[in-house]
Amino acid sequence: MQDVDPPDLTLWPTLRYLYPLWREQWRLVTLGLVCALAFTGLSLAIPILIQRTIDDAIDGGDTSLLLPYLGLILVIAALRFAFNFTRRYSTARIGIAVEARLRGMMYDAYLRFPRAFYDRHATGEVISRATNDIYPVRYFIGWGVVQAIQSVMMLVGAAIVLISVDAQLTLIAALAMPPIALLTYVFAHRVHPISRVVQAKKGNLTEATDEAVIGIEMVQAFGREDDVRSRFGDRAEAVRAETMRQAGIEARFLPGLIFLPSLAIAAVLYFGGKDAIAGTLTIGQFTLFITLLLQLVWPLEALGWIINLGQRATAAASRSFAWLGSIKALPEPVEPKHLPEGPLTIRLENVHFSYGVGSEVLSGVDLDLAPGEIVAVCGATGAGKSSLLNLLPRFYDPTHGRVLVGGIDSRDLGLAELRGSVALVTQKPVLFSVLLRDNLLSGRPDADWADVLAACEAAGVAAFVDGLPNGYDTLIGERGVNLSGGQRQRVALARALVARSRVIVLDDPMSAVDTETERHLVETLRPAVAGRTVLISGQRLSTILVADRAVVLKDGRIVENGLPQDLIRLGGAFTDLFGDEALAA
Amino acid sequence: MRHLPHNTHTGLSRLGRYTVGRRKRLTGVMLLAAVSAAAPVAGWVIVGDAIDNGIKAENLTRLTADVVLYIAIGATAWIIGTTTWLMLAGIGQQIVLDLRRDLFEHLTSLSLRYFSQQKAGWIIARLTSDVDALSDVLNQGLTTLVVNSMTLVAAIIGLFVLDWRLGVVALIILPPGIVVTRWFQTTSHVAFADVRTRIAAVTAQLAESVSGMAVVQAFSRERAFQSEFAELNEANRVSNVYAQRLSSFFFPAIEFLGAIATVGVIFAGAKMIDSGSLEIGTLIAAMGMLQLIFQPLQELSELYGQVQAASAAMTKISTVLDAEQDITDREGAPEIGRIAGHLKLDNVVFAYGDEPVIHGISIDVPEGGCVALVGESGGGKSTTAKLIARFYDPLEGSVTIDGIDLRDIQLRSLRRQLGVVLQDPFLFSGTIADNIRFGRPEATDEEVAAAAHAIGVDRVTARFEGGLDHVVREGGSGLSAGERQLISIARALLADPRILILDEATSNIDRPSEILIEQAFDTLLRGRTSVIIAHRLATVRRADEILVIEKGYVTQRGNEAALLAEEGPFRRLAETVHGLPARDVA
Repeated sequence: MQDVDPPDLTLWPTLRYLYPLWREQWRLVTLGLVCALAFTGLSLAIPILIQRTIDDAIDGGDTSLLLPYLGLILVIAALRFAFNFTRRYSTARIGIAVEARLRGMMYDAYLRFPRAFYDRHATGEVISRATNDIYPVRYFIGWGVVQAIQSVMMLVGAAIVLISVDAQLTLIAALAMPPIALLTYVFAHRVHPISRVVQAKKGNLTEATDEAVIGIEMVQAFGREDDVRSRFGDRAEAVRAETMRQAGIEARFLPGLIFLPSLAIAAVLYFGGKDAIAGTLTIGQFTLFITLLLQLVWPLEALGWIINLGQRATAAASRSFAWLGSIKALPEPVEPKHLPEGPLTIRLENVHFSYGVGSEVLSGVDLDLAPGEIVAVCGATGAGKSSLLNLLPRFYDPTHGRVLVGGIDSRDLGLAELRGSVALVTQKPVLFSVLLRDNLLSGRPDADWADVLAACEAAGVAAFVDGLPNGYDTLIGERGVNLSGGQRQRVALARALVARSRVIVLDDPMSAVDTETERHLVETLRPAVAGRTVLISGQRLSTILVADRAVVLKDGRIVENGLPQDLIRLGGAFTDLFGDEALAA
Repeated sequence: MRHLPHNTHTGLSRLGRYTVGRRKRLTGVMLLAAVSAAAPVAGWVIVGDAIDNGIKAENLTRLTADVVLYIAIGATAWIIGTTTWLMLAGIGQQIVLDLRRDLFEHLTSLSLRYFSQQKAGWIIARLTSDVDALSDVLNQGLTTLVVNSMTLVAAIIGLFVLDWRLGVVALIILPPGIVVTRWFQTTSHVAFADVRTRIAAVTAQLAESVSGMAVVQAFSRERAFQSEFAELNEANRVSNVYAQRLSSFFFPAIEFLGAIATVGVIFAGAKMIDSGSLEIGTLIAAMGMLQLIFQPLQELSELYGQVQAASAAMTKISTVLDAEQDITDREGAPEIGRIAGHLKLDNVVFAYGDEPVIHGISIDVPEGGCVALVGESGGGKSTTAKLIARFYDPLEGSVTIDGIDLRDIQLRSLRRQLGVVLQDPFLFSGTIADNIRFGRPEATDEEVAAAAHAIGVDRVTARFEGGLDHVVREGGSGLSAGERQLISIARALLADPRILILDEATSNIDRPSEILIEQAFDTLLRGRTSVIIAHRLATVRRADEILVIEKGYVTQRGNEAALLAEEGPFRRLAETVHGLPARDVA
């Protein structure tokens, strides 16, 4: 059994995956960096020009310089606007494009991943890898990388400007600045784990909500409203407490981030003020110091954020790429063989199967189905019926032994050809949130409508379709009509019939159908599947009786094999399963 | 303006009631916020003073005093800022907690009618993602809103106090500023709403594909799904790019307007300094304050989208809060006391909508008696059972227990004496013991173990290491339908109900498990009044009276032997039940 839960990648392999995605956007990256450089230069030019205005035109008294200086500032501001817009827009587009690419890659991979993968991972986890987990990557690659480079440019630029004005004062003022980046980083580092805890607590709360809503009848029937309320209340309080813990850290750090630059400005105010009194620093230069220091606060904060964002992004990406890189689809043959024409035989040879964890589910099953034969697989809950049936469309490969369809090992067939010929109906079938019509056609979109109607008649869909608001054009699912379990089973049955597969695998397909309907189905099903090879499992004798022959699965092996009537008389495993039901008649 | 939704106020005004009792704290925190917002403004005033009266006047003492004051104000703002942040978060989270509790309490008191009309997913979204949207606004949003609007106001006031002429000059960018901000609010509201819709569609498609992957792969539909998803993914990308273009334009635009205002202020200031009516330090302070005006403006604009989303969420939450409780206790209704168990339905008529589904059903079950309801699905059996548990009230006729109409007694006192076992038993996350204890939380461990033993749950739990303390998750996955059913029967037994309702409790189960459950019923039904809905003859057989219910009418009644003896629907059903129509097996 291949590994479907690979460990997260380490940093370098993650970056090796991430880099090509980033490089794909090289035009936008180049554009963003050029604009960032221009933006930085212009952003530094404006305070310098204001300094000159103050020193030359206002304090210096040469008023003729006032208008040219101010005009230049306006022109530069207009240019900065254009560059700033282009930089923001292009970097945002990088992130969005990478997000879409990565999500597309994940989805394509999901379509290829084997069943074992979905057995192992909860639906919520699989979904969030392709949605929420991608956001840090988007913001890091899109905004983070360019902003980090821009921050460094701004820091270097401002340092050059300030040092050229007054090196000593720059040194004093700069003392308070690095802690801004450090503090931001420490803050993000501390707050992030808590925000994860908050998310987890919210998850608990959602669970309590789910249970109360889905189990409302139980809650009300036993009059236990107060208990679920207090359970919910406790969890809501836990969310509040954690959110407050997060707010506590925010409250300690964020106002402090405003205080640190104040210290730098106070230093400029005092030491710069003394220089100004001594005449070694002009008022304009003094103002330049304060303005530029304030202008550096955001780039410094941004650096702290980006470092943390980068860690989260690589962590998220390392998980996604581990899936993309390590989980393989079921191996397909290089030169696939093809199925013969006409009805197909099914043959299981000494099939062993286990899910990788726990004991063996099937330990040496031998089974032969003639073309067009209907065989029922019986057995108690947990006997391995579903595992056996799932081998036919090759959702799993046997750990030992072979499954032959039409005389060919299923591993030697193209997956699409095999699955196109084997239709599976499960006990809890999944219908898609599209029109009933499209659900029926999902196995063979080009099917003749008359065929669909015939299948619906045979599968008992026709019996309830008139009760639906728009007949076959009714929207199914959360946003449309919720069908009952029995109705869903019947739709799935019809869907399999429409697909015109030559092999039909029915895994307890009528468990949720009421008995009257089941009797009807048992009668219509046989002619509808004529010429197809059918493997069916079921809990009720009435379901089993649709078959030509029954086999009983026990302890991973087939222990009985014969006509249902004969098996009843045998008084063995089959009688244990269905005896009372038959004798009651 | 006319594109803006008008429900912002109505959506959020409901939150107003949650501030009752917190008004004093809110006022206090507003005052604190005003003080901390005034700090940076005061800072610039001090810088101006340091230039004019310290540097220009060459007065080092004044300069030193200004620096000390500057640091002191910064430190004060730090402390006040921390306090404000904590207080606001505290108030916001308390409001969210109250809202969550109210919402949940109201929801759990709604009748089954509500739950049958609304999809579970829809209801859950109201309690989760919608409340989260509100929580976000109340958490960070409230702080951003209060601090930034206070800073904005303080900076404008500060600018005018400093020099009203400079204030007037700075106002030249107000009209274009308002126009740009309005434009951004309007377009970005639509754009970001579109982004939310698109990403929701992407997530929905993902969720559906992942949960239906078996079908997708079984029918080799990968390619169709891939292209469908690619389309949604691309639509989401395009929508995102558009929204980002708007904000990429807006924030630099505000920055540009700020530069224009600065240039205007410098120009006017230079003229005034030239004429001797302004000091240079004041001009520099005024330039600093302009920055304090533009920064909050940007942050407030970002907040606007959040507030919009929260308002939409609150409107949807309100639909749950406003849902009518149609099954409630009558004023001063007494408790029913210990039920003896005489159950009577007298000519009951009931309709979910306009069309009656129960047409005058009468049932009389003596104390400790057992009645079975059989018939095709959709005939009204489960509805009848639900009327007995008073999940619904009859339209006509009455349901009485020991001669008392259910509408005249406290609902809770009735339900505490009911035991219900459903076809698809719901297990709550927790241990198996917790699930058994659900009906009577005060039961001791010994009582739980005894109930588990009496029903045969201990045979199920034997395969788990933790036994009864084995933790079940997500509705009981890992347990078979039969095993879950045994647990739910033990739950009903431990609750020691006076009246039992078994609604198709054995339909979904393999025969060996069913035999176990049938044996469990012997224990469970002893000495209690019971109503059984079932398909299988073996289950129905134990009833004193069997009623065939078809299309809302009782079409046949009597004991098993009598019903089998006569030509009628029961005989037809009995044949189907055994799955042996024409063919004779034995």
